[in-house]
Amino acid sequence: MEKIVKKVNDEIKRGWLGPDHNCPYHPAHFTGQDCSFCYCPFFPCNDTTFGWELQGRHGAVWNCSDCLFIHRTPVVKFIYSEIERLGIEDAKDPRFNDIFKAAKERFWKKGKALMVVGATSDAGKSVTVAAICRILHDRGYLVAPFKSQNMSLNSKVTRTGAEIAMIQVLQAKAAGITNPDAHMNPILLKPKGDTVSQVMVCGKPFADYDVEGYYNEFVPGPGIEIVKEHVDFLKDRYDCVIMEGAGSPAEINIYDKDIANMRAAEIADANVILVVNVEWGGSFAYALGTVELIPEKDRKRIKGIILNNVRGNTENLRSGADRLEEITGIPVIGIIPHADVVLPSEDSEALRGVRSKGRGESLIGVIKFPRMANFTDLDPLFLEDVSTVFVEKPEDLKGVDAIVMPGTKNTVADYLWMQETGIADVIKGLWKKIPIVGICGGYQMMGKVLDDSNGIEAGKSAVYEGLGFFDNTTTFGEYAKQILRNEGKLAVGDGGEITGYELHMGISDVREKQPLVYLERFHADPVPEGCVREEDLTFGTYQHGIFDKPAFRKYFLSFVKHNGKPVDTSHAEDYDVTIEENLVKLAKVFEENMDVERLIDIAGVRE
Amino acid sequence: MSILFLGTSSGAGKTTVCAMVCRYLSRNGVDVAPFKGSNLSLNSIATKDGGEIGMGQAFQAWAAGIEPETDMNPVLLKPSGKGVIQLVLNGRPYKNITKDDPMDRGMTLQEVKKAYDRMNERHRLVLCEGSGSPVELNLMDTDLANVGLMRVTGVPAILVGDIERGGVFAAIYGTWKLIPDELKPQMKGFIINRFRGDGSILRSAIGHIESLTGMKCLGVLRYEYLRFPEEDSLSSSDGKLEGNDVHTAFISNLDEMIAHAEEDGFDFDGLKKICGL
Ligand code: SF4
Repeated sequence: MEKIVKKVNDEIKRGWLGPDHNCPYHPAHFTGQDCSFCYCPFFPCNDTTFGWELQGRHGAVWNCSDCLFIHRTPVVKFIYSEIERLGIEDAKDPRFNDIFKAAKERFWKKGKALMVVGATSDAGKSVTVAAICRILHDRGYLVAPFKSQNMSLNSKVTRTGAEIAMIQVLQAKAAGITNPDAHMNPILLKPKGDTVSQVMVCGKPFADYDVEGYYNEFVPGPGIEIVKEHVDFLKDRYDCVIMEGAGSPAEINIYDKDIANMRAAEIADANVILVVNVEWGGSFAYALGTVELIPEKDRKRIKGIILNNVRGNTENLRSGADRLEEITGIPVIGIIPHADVVLPSEDSEALRGVRSKGRGESLIGVIKFPRMANFTDLDPLFLEDVSTVFVEKPEDLKGVDAIVMPGTKNTVADYLWMQETGIADVIKGLWKKIPIVGICGGYQMMGKVLDDSNGIEAGKSAVYEGLGFFDNTTTFGEYAKQILRNEGKLAVGDGGEITGYELHMGISDVREKQPLVYLERFHADPVPEGCVREEDLTFGTYQHGIFDKPAFRKYFLSFVKHNGKPVDTSHAEDYDVTIEENLVKLAKVFEENMDVERLIDIAGVRE
Repeated sequence: MSILFLGTSSGAGKTTVCAMVCRYLSRNGVDVAPFKGSNLSLNSIATKDGGEIGMGQAFQAWAAGIEPETDMNPVLLKPSGKGVIQLVLNGRPYKNITKDDPMDRGMTLQEVKKAYDRMNERHRLVLCEGSGSPVELNLMDTDLANVGLMRVTGVPAILVGDIERGGVFAAIYGTWKLIPDELKPQMKGFIINRFRGDGSILRSAIGHIESLTGMKCLGVLRYEYLRFPEEDSLSSSDGKLEGNDVHTAFISNLDEMIAHAEEDGFDFDGLKKICGL
């Protein structure tokens, strides 16, 4: 506490600062934040609109990590003007209580919510939310993405160790938010088999449900309350919550049990925008049918329609759009051309049945595990000058110049699949001839032993012989490891920077000499991680996202040769930079083809 | 007699469903033949009479146990790049159409009608396939293969919706709603295509759509891994679908599809009734 008082006294003396681009942590909360009060003069305000009480080891602590209020410039300027007016010189001055009350009174109001629903599952909801987040953020609004319920195997870890869908993390980036959190995706369903999903609540495992159990027990029970709580949390802190629906909102057979669409809009009191993908045709029918099948009481929330993904001249659709407006009484607020952007997508090509992609000469075989997880890891690799084939049977490996074994939701089950299909044997035959890299689950399989004597992975106790490329033993227990963000350096090659995150069951006893990376640790020695046998062209790591920074991509691809010719990686770029560029591009396409003023009105944020 | 299969979008599965019905009816001794008024496609096939038609109709003809002929697809539009589309009329290249030199819709619709009539004279049942969605508000007035054909022939229609992408009930209801009122009585039924899972969960929704539209649901077809010949403009094969193997494989795929449909209680009798058989 004394430390805070001293810091605040300094801040009082120093005066207004604005965004502090010299701070190594900047922006710790959001792009454009005001950093004048890195330490808050109101601490602890005990107001749960902004902070909350954390039960620590030494009793309750006031937690300010989610508070954005103190980083808004008008608030900060007001505080300084009050400090000056009242002649306050010390952080302990009781009049800060009055300033706090006055500041809240003047500058805080409950945020609004806007929901984007899609006429079909591939309507383009996710990118529309990302584009809206960026457009509003650029205009100075503080916005947060939200999806009540997401079914996905592509998740990321938040700074508090919670797991949320990758796509909300991307949208948060579009909104300029530095630390996406589980409030933005409170319910995450991770499909386990054909009918059962692991339900994660607020980023932590909650329970397993089959479809029926989910809709009949979870949804009417805890489900609705969860949506309420988290939307409300975000509305306290942001000007607008941009919500994403799931699938179509007009699935009338489950309408009453659906908490991802209109029900969520009702809970959040959100206006709704309907997005329709024009590409496949029938968009007017999809739009009208969706609007009309939604019951009257919810239908009136729909305030705008976006016709998305138009190839060719958008003007050709104008007359149809006018007719649609007339028939539905809902304005078409945007006719958006196909946006040629490179962004990670939930609608993975691998899952859509695409068998190969890319135009480079070198062919990379990606093992398409039935339970493949976090496959967006590989997106940066696909941007290089290579071709990719998704391997489902041994023949698919014909002619590949390298193999990638990605992560999986269930290492043992997918390892057994690989053995049954015969893919494992072909990989063994190619070992030492072409480069092979394993990530997370794929890395575990490369070891000598997969010890599932607890039956965690396959449901029965057994110990399996792995591929044996590395002298490692992986043991599966109830323990799961989750690390938000590792930073480090390659232990090989040019020693370049890498980042990654970890998300796995099982721990590996590594007996290899050469690690792949050294992970930096605060005030401690770097930790070696992963394995390399360069002479065997074999590489493995637990780091998801290892391809994001160019260093590992360049290193790995330097071993990949097609007819003796290595892959040209001279243009390799940091994937974060690529994403940012593409978010800018995406927002621009939407901005130029959408009535943004109308959007702002519908969002309800206009001052 | 004839019947028209419409789709709620391109890729909804009209082509395959038509082929399946061709196969089913021909197996049951019905003299059936496929027809598509107008086709936008790069995948064409040469007929024995020296003409050119869309590949989908050729496969459907084989499914019906007959040889492809030009009347099965009187208008074939082949995009040749740079905004130019080659119009193949009655199997022969007719002219290049551009923005400044558009197609004469009145004339082509007449040709479509004539070919349709000739087909009807030669075959007991003509099984027509629509093109894209029938209710593109910006294109409906000039439509040939969907509402255009319905208008000039009075043919009864069945709507095929793709459930895989979601929103199928909205798509079916919205399509029906946008069909001009005077043609609505021709809308007899709908089919839900590409379903995975237990169909009973759809029952209440299907009932709701039936009562809203008066159309009858003929059945829910399961997801099949049969996706060729691709008819829509979004995909192009390199014309390698000929040859005996592909032919036989295609037919046996259809047989399998029919077996699945029968197993799932598809209402073939209802379909026959709508066809007037
Ligand atoms: S929650 Fe916000 S306003 Fe309250 S003490 Fe913390 S930083 Fe200050």
